[in-house]
Amino acid sequence: MRAGFVRAAWCAGLFFLIGMYIVVSIRGLAGWDPVYDWNVITAVGALTTAPIGFLLGLGAFDYWLYWISGRPTRPEDHSGHGAYGWKDYFKVNTDHKVIGVQYLATTFVFFVLGGLMAMLFRAELAQPGMQFMDTQTYNGLVSVHAALMIFVFIIPAFAGLANFAVPLMLGAPDMAFPRLNALSYWLLPIAGAMFLASFLAPGGAFATGWTSYAPLASEQPIGQIFFNMGVQWAGASSILTALNFLVTIITMRAPGMTFWRMPLLVWANFTTSLLVVIATPFIAGSQFFVMFDRIMHTSFFVPDEGGYVLGYQHIFWFYSHPAVYIMILPGFGIISEIVSVMSRKPIFGYRLMALSLLGILVLGFSVWAHHMFVAGMADWLRVPMMISTLLIAVPTGVKVFSWLATLWEGKIRLNTPMLFALGFISMFVIGGLSGIYLASVPIDIHASDTYFIVAHIHYVLFGGSVLTIFAGIYYWFPKMTGRMYSERLGKWHFWLTFVSFNLTFFPMHWVGLVGMPRRVADYADRFANLNLFVTISSFALGASVVIFFYNVIVSWARGPIAESNPWRAMTLEWQVSSPPPVFNFDEIPQVVGGPYEYGVPGARHAVLKGAAPQETPA
Amino acid sequence: MAGIGVVVAILVTLVAVLIPWLPTSASEEMDRIEFVFWFATVICIGIFALVMAVIIYSVMTFRAAPEDESDGPSIHGHTGLEVVWTVVPAVLVVAIGVLSAVVLSQNGSAGTNPLKVKVFAQQFAWRFEYPQQDKLKSGELVLPLGRSVEFDMTSADVIHSFWIPEMGQKQDLVPGIQTKIVVTPKRTGTFTLVCTELCGLGHATMRAPVRVLSQADFAAWVKERQSGGGGDPGAAVFTAAGCGSCHTFSAAGANGKIGPSLDNLAAAAKQAGQPVPVYTRESIVNPGKVIANGYSDGVMPNNYGESYSAKEIDALVRYLTGAKQ
Repeated sequence: MRAGFVRAAWCAGLFFLIGMYIVVSIRGLAGWDPVYDWNVITAVGALTTAPIGFLLGLGAFDYWLYWISGRPTRPEDHSGHGAYGWKDYFKVNTDHKVIGVQYLATTFVFFVLGGLMAMLFRAELAQPGMQFMDTQTYNGLVSVHAALMIFVFIIPAFAGLANFAVPLMLGAPDMAFPRLNALSYWLLPIAGAMFLASFLAPGGAFATGWTSYAPLASEQPIGQIFFNMGVQWAGASSILTALNFLVTIITMRAPGMTFWRMPLLVWANFTTSLLVVIATPFIAGSQFFVMFDRIMHTSFFVPDEGGYVLGYQHIFWFYSHPAVYIMILPGFGIISEIVSVMSRKPIFGYRLMALSLLGILVLGFSVWAHHMFVAGMADWLRVPMMISTLLIAVPTGVKVFSWLATLWEGKIRLNTPMLFALGFISMFVIGGLSGIYLASVPIDIHASDTYFIVAHIHYVLFGGSVLTIFAGIYYWFPKMTGRMYSERLGKWHFWLTFVSFNLTFFPMHWVGLVGMPRRVADYADRFANLNLFVTISSFALGASVVIFFYNVIVSWARGPIAESNPWRAMTLEWQVSSPPPVFNFDEIPQVVGGPYEYGVPGARHAVLKGAAPQETPA
Repeated sequence: MAGIGVVVAILVTLVAVLIPWLPTSASEEMDRIEFVFWFATVICIGIFALVMAVIIYSVMTFRAAPEDESDGPSIHGHTGLEVVWTVVPAVLVVAIGVLSAVVLSQNGSAGTNPLKVKVFAQQFAWRFEYPQQDKLKSGELVLPLGRSVEFDMTSADVIHSFWIPEMGQKQDLVPGIQTKIVVTPKRTGTFTLVCTELCGLGHATMRAPVRVLSQADFAAWVKERQSGGGGDPGAAVFTAAGCGSCHTFSAAGANGKIGPSLDNLAAAAKQAGQPVPVYTRESIVNPGKVIANGYSDGVMPNNYGESYSAKEIDALVRYLTGAKQ
């Protein structure tokens, strides 16, 4: 039968039954009671083997299976490469540009769902007491909101942008492993579907926050397993993509593209990929241990049986702190591109910009326990972790000051990508400064686990990451779609999002410091006015994003045809047509200089021999 | 540009000063936290004003005209500037770090003669024990003014966290290990202890009342509680065990919503087909046996039969059933 969604559906069903059969037969033979243990059947059948069946049915493994079974593999077969109609976006496609768009479209579906969940629980928080839902539902909405936003929106949205841009910027025809690239993408909707499906589980969705601390997580209803396993699929997707980026960046740079001639977006994704590959196995381990405690009755985190409760937090944060940089370094790369191009100046201090990324990478692994200052860990760990955390402000500061120096005396174009870039710098500085308060142990002891934390992470992840994602989408929109978005709507989107974002999250600093803990379905009456204000602002924030979707959808369908290089940028993706040819370059370009040589007379980044960029008349 | 910087700095300073960012301090530890807080704030205002001034000034001054297609000057960097903005922030954050380390050490010291209080947390209640006062048990945290209190804490089930916002200090209670924290109350009054670590269904309302009394009043309170206080012993257990944080019980003025109301025990016992005292006792020591409509199993702790003596449970049953008749 032909690969596709029909085959995927019945393969998923078949593989679920296979998983269930393995569990039931082992339990039956061993004489374990009950034979039908739905915790185990869900973990193995529904959350492990069924997704493998889905991928198999979809055709993600076809090529490798042909090869293994000795059937002809057609190495030069490009039938699954490139998009010639909308249906090609719903297949296993090996074109990095198609995969980039698949990533972005998928992640924005999860962004909308996660955002709607936030508005639901903000509605509950508009007044003290419980109005619309019970506390299990509330805790579930908070947890699924965070899981969607972190694991299947921000991290993979950056992977999507990089998937589209990095091979083009390197002068490469595609990623190093296109089939692996296709597989990594298709792992992602599986993870997102698991997070969402947990609402259908008996007892409700996982409800222990995205941090999912043991031992609470080991004794929750079955929905918790959907988080434990969803993280595995999202993590596998991240790791495979990161390996692909590393190999692509190391081996597929165009001739002349030395490391010191790579655009900073490529540097950023190189660093991020290293972080992903080193750190992600730790969260995979932490979630497996919690799940084993539950379904296999191990005692990793069961204190009565010799388990060590704080062990979970150490393993979890050893990934989840570097994850913060996984969610911001690609954004740094995007902003470096935009600030340089839109200021018409070379990026200030290029080498230090690249080295500061590596500085953050190294320091990022020495700060995880700053999430645990009140956790009860060894006292002596607190001061060293505080110092290393504070020192991360140094490479981060280098980046901010270098962007500012790039603006200086430039010829600034204040279009939508640039507005988002400048908005990002201002908001990220606030998020970074509130991070200094949290690094200081005595202040953190007061502010930890309060709404101050909620404010801080939203300044970093929304004011930081999400604004850079918007900036990147507007910047590469003409290259991706071949059409131009509406500047007027883009500016409306920026200003409404920027203002309502601040109105939503800035008051949270205050309400946290004066005494409101986070992750609470109910609160003391004295916080009522501020919470009502925050709820109203959050609805405005939700509404502001509608403009973005309207702009993107209408412009993609009917926007004016884009030029190949509307920003007059030097990097390679702008030297080919919009959208680029199926294999990117008709002839591999020769790189002859740096990527940001604006204002240098006669400077060029690369020479394209064969195809001069075709200037499409607007 | 300097002008813009000054304006931004003044605006941000007004925001910092006019809004009461921190609760009115009620402990010596919170005073020190406030000092670090303001030290960091001064530095942060300076940095924020500098960044915003450069952005606003650049956008106003260096904006290109729509038809201007020229490039800016090809400035690639400036070693001196790069050294400055690497070294200066490093010095500033190390200064914050040193001050923080000193304050952390001061805030962890309980002096020579601390009052010791044991704290037990479980879903979703707090219990306190005063080992130096004949193991006095209480569901309300009562502290003397001006004396350092060393809390020795643990949890029976999942992780909870101890925080009295006005006193600043916070510490998780972790099953399987003991954690410590020091608080030195500096003004009398009533406060609320809140749980700040997500611990399940009742997390949002897992609170306990806190009172700071003068040393004389504290001694009097201890004495009264040790002599039984003349009150109903069942009521004392009700308070000490924190029943009211989950259950509504009018006689005790409790209005918790996590578990079923205790105002109608007779009707519930009838439904279960048991005499009221038997049903009530069983529901305390073995809460999973009969689950009230609309509530789920596994929420109420099942160890009250062990943490309280048979005599105390008897008194509690009499209090819960008798108060209605």
